[in-house]
Amino acid sequence: MADVAIKIEGATRRFGSVTAVDQVTVEIEQDEFFALLGPSGSGKTTLLRIIAGLEIPDEGRVLINGEDVTHLPPYARGVGMVFQDFLLFPHKTVGENITFPLKMQGENKAHQAERLDWIVQLLRIDGLEKRYPSQLSGGQQQRVALARGLISRPVLLLLDEPLANLDRELRKEMEVEVRRYQIELGIPFVYVTHNQEEALTMSDRIAVMNEGKFDQIAPKLDIYTKPATPFVASFVGHSNRIDARIGSVNGGLARIDWNGLPLIVSCPADAGDGDNISYFIKCEHIEIQPDGSSVADSNENQLAGTLRDVIFKGQTADYIVVLENETEIVITDASGIPQVKAGDRVIVSWPAEAGNCFSADHV
Amino acid sequence: MAGMQLDKRLSWSGMVLLLLVLYLFLYSPIAYIIYLSFASNTMWPFPWKPTIEAYENLSGNRIYQQALWNSFLLSFGAATLSALFATMGAIALLKYRSRWRGLFGIILISPLFVAELLIGISTLMFNKQVLGLPGNMVSAILANAVHGVAFGFLIMLTQLVRYNWRMDDAAMVFGATPSRVFREITLPIIWPAILGAFLISFLLAFNNLEISFYNLGAIPTLPSVAWGSLRFGVKSELLALTALVNGFVFIVFAILYVFMRTGLVRFGYRGE
Amino acid sequence: MSARGRFSNLFYRPGARFALLALPGVLFVVLFLLIPIIAILIFSFWRTESYELHADWNVNNYAEVLGDGSYMVFLLRSFLTALIVSVVCLVYSWPVAYFIAKLGGRYRLLLILALAAPFFTGIILRLAALQAIMGPLGIVNMFMMDLGMEPIKFIMYTKVATGIGLFYLYAPFMVVALYLSLLNFNFRLLDVAKVNGAKPWRGFLEITWPLNWAGTAIGFILVFIPCLASSVTPHFLGGANGALYGLVLGEQFAETGTWAKGSAMGVILFIASFIVILIMWRTVNLRRSGFTGAGM
Repeated sequence: MADVAIKIEGATRRFGSVTAVDQVTVEIEQDEFFALLGPSGSGKTTLLRIIAGLEIPDEGRVLINGEDVTHLPPYARGVGMVFQDFLLFPHKTVGENITFPLKMQGENKAHQAERLDWIVQLLRIDGLEKRYPSQLSGGQQQRVALARGLISRPVLLLLDEPLANLDRELRKEMEVEVRRYQIELGIPFVYVTHNQEEALTMSDRIAVMNEGKFDQIAPKLDIYTKPATPFVASFVGHSNRIDARIGSVNGGLARIDWNGLPLIVSCPADAGDGDNISYFIKCEHIEIQPDGSSVADSNENQLAGTLRDVIFKGQTADYIVVLENETEIVITDASGIPQVKAGDRVIVSWPAEAGNCFSADHV
Repeated sequence: MAGMQLDKRLSWSGMVLLLLVLYLFLYSPIAYIIYLSFASNTMWPFPWKPTIEAYENLSGNRIYQQALWNSFLLSFGAATLSALFATMGAIALLKYRSRWRGLFGIILISPLFVAELLIGISTLMFNKQVLGLPGNMVSAILANAVHGVAFGFLIMLTQLVRYNWRMDDAAMVFGATPSRVFREITLPIIWPAILGAFLISFLLAFNNLEISFYNLGAIPTLPSVAWGSLRFGVKSELLALTALVNGFVFIVFAILYVFMRTGLVRFGYRGE
Repeated sequence: MSARGRFSNLFYRPGARFALLALPGVLFVVLFLLIPIIAILIFSFWRTESYELHADWNVNNYAEVLGDGSYMVFLLRSFLTALIVSVVCLVYSWPVAYFIAKLGGRYRLLLILALAAPFFTGIILRLAALQAIMGPLGIVNMFMMDLGMEPIKFIMYTKVATGIGLFYLYAPFMVVALYLSLLNFNFRLLDVAKVNGAKPWRGFLEITWPLNWAGTAIGFILVFIPCLASSVTPHFLGGANGALYGLVLGEQFAETGTWAKGSAMGVILFIASFIVILIMWRTVNLRRSGFTGAGM
């Protein structure tokens, strides 16, 4: 059982009439890669700054390794931080940038040099120590920022969308690397991002944040397959959203009417007849077949429609189908299914348990 | 199309011409004075018969030396105060949010819009009647500092606008106390701007007449001695002085130019 | 983790840190600018007798200055001179600043610094230099006499001479103010105007001029204020009939020792300057609200 490294209790931060962080409580474990996922304005950066000490919460506490640091200034907390725009000191060399935390702690030069050597080897930026940040590429700068955050082996590392300024290829590479460093060093990482793929790739647990509150904190698989709220369901993964009314409930399954089309979906335990619900079905869980071919019996929901468009995305493609109730549904599948092309009549189908259903009052 | 090219060419040349005329107008008097300062016959200095007599007279002139010392003292004091307050004010306004920002900014800039003469006589009266001080160096330093703060503040503002204050945040997370942040991060980056504000305030106070005159009474400064000399016709020392001061200003501006060119300081100049 | 650091409460009160940094400068200006001005406001209602101020509250000083024709003539003369010089500065500075900002390229910095530098050599030396050129014994006139021609009268000891002198002294202000404004002006907006059919002159009136009006206004004020108050320049260049308000003001303190009257004159000067600033301020705000005179 890993110990709790960071504990936040009821943290609240308001800016004027806006509540950026609203009664947030969470525990983060020692060897955990913890992602804070949410859209911009959800408060995730503010929460990070509260942990760092750059903001003081109006209410609540922050504890690091059991110690209440809520009113401790940032320079006394011993955390590390990596920023989206790197924030390297332009007038210092790469080496000086990286050893800065050690210098602030008063470590002697020999120790600084030793640690510097270790970290540049680890992050594969050895040889750049004498250069200035302006002479480095984006990827190199980000590694230097990482090195600076890690060199003092801080109690935790805070990362504020660090890969957002890198191009796609580099980002993919760094996602794997950053995860590797976290495991190797055994320090908790708190990673803020609005990019769900990043969060899903790198983290152990994800907290989905919406308007200052955590909608769900769970291991990443659960976030993906068992979203707790409509917001999480819509934010993570690509889903179709269906708002409808329950006709009848029978043992965990509900018959709903979707603008004239009947569907069978699994519903929450407390759902009753006549309830309004929001139903999310992930695009990749829907099958698409040409009209007339046989559909698996296990796909209780089968709808006929016309394929309006195919959006090619490389490995996969999005198939936009217009159904008989004049709504559109998006299916993600392998690209280049030979049997269907734009204009064809098709059948889309999926099993009843495949989606997630939320009662409308839940929203 | 060809017509437009000609139009463009004409307007281009027109503007260049205006610019050149302006430079000529601004610099020919200075150039002529420098020329005169080396001339044996200041009435009609042609043909060229150089001598350094004017400079010898100047260096031997006790009053000018005294005045030089006073001017230097005055300017150094005023510039130090100006640079200090301007820097603090600019950092405060740019780094922090406060509902007093606008008001404080206006107050710090306001000396720019008050005539030097007014600054001179009002501080004279204030010192004389309210503080009971006769004209003295301290009141002159303070009055010039007020004048210089506005210029310095403007300069610091334009420079610091580009400073990324989040670097200070980063430094603090990494263990630097606020004073350490200033020493390690902020100051090393902005020192050329502070020096620039200092130099400009220095020059303003060094060559100032209308503020200093009323506040100094009998204490001579270079401008007031020069004024005396000018009233009685241009003596050779004045020529040499003008040449030297111009040289001094030129050197200061060369320093500022190098600062800005090498990217240390900006002034809104976006390099290359 | 070493160096714990003190529990610095000050850190968490940005309001306190703001005040700590900003107040010294602000208080300094208030103390040594605003308060002295208030002081002369007070003194303007007193009375001078044998070089001493007496707190005899009266409005005689104002009656004298405002009522006596000659003082008002000086004020009017100063006002007109300042106005003319400022307008001339404006007209001349625009193409110069425009050229440097837009077409100066790599030499922009050099060009503008070269324009600003002369200003810092101080008023006396600059006037001395001007005299050497324009004065009766100056190179221009000596040259004319050498050719057997009459010396050009108007460039010395006349109001025109004062005007030229003021232009010489303060033109760099206007150019630099405009330059700074134009630096932040997006010239590509003119391309947009062009694409939409605006001829060059129209583009200037509709786009360039309004967007740089704030800089123009600031430059105008920076020239106008010193011109209005000028005392040294008319002394040397203005001649017997060229006395300006500032000159007479200075005399109250330097020569006649009539502090109270001088204070009153100073207050009037301040008010006149303030009114001009206020007028310009209003025009700047009006423009920004979209009122460019071209509708919209």
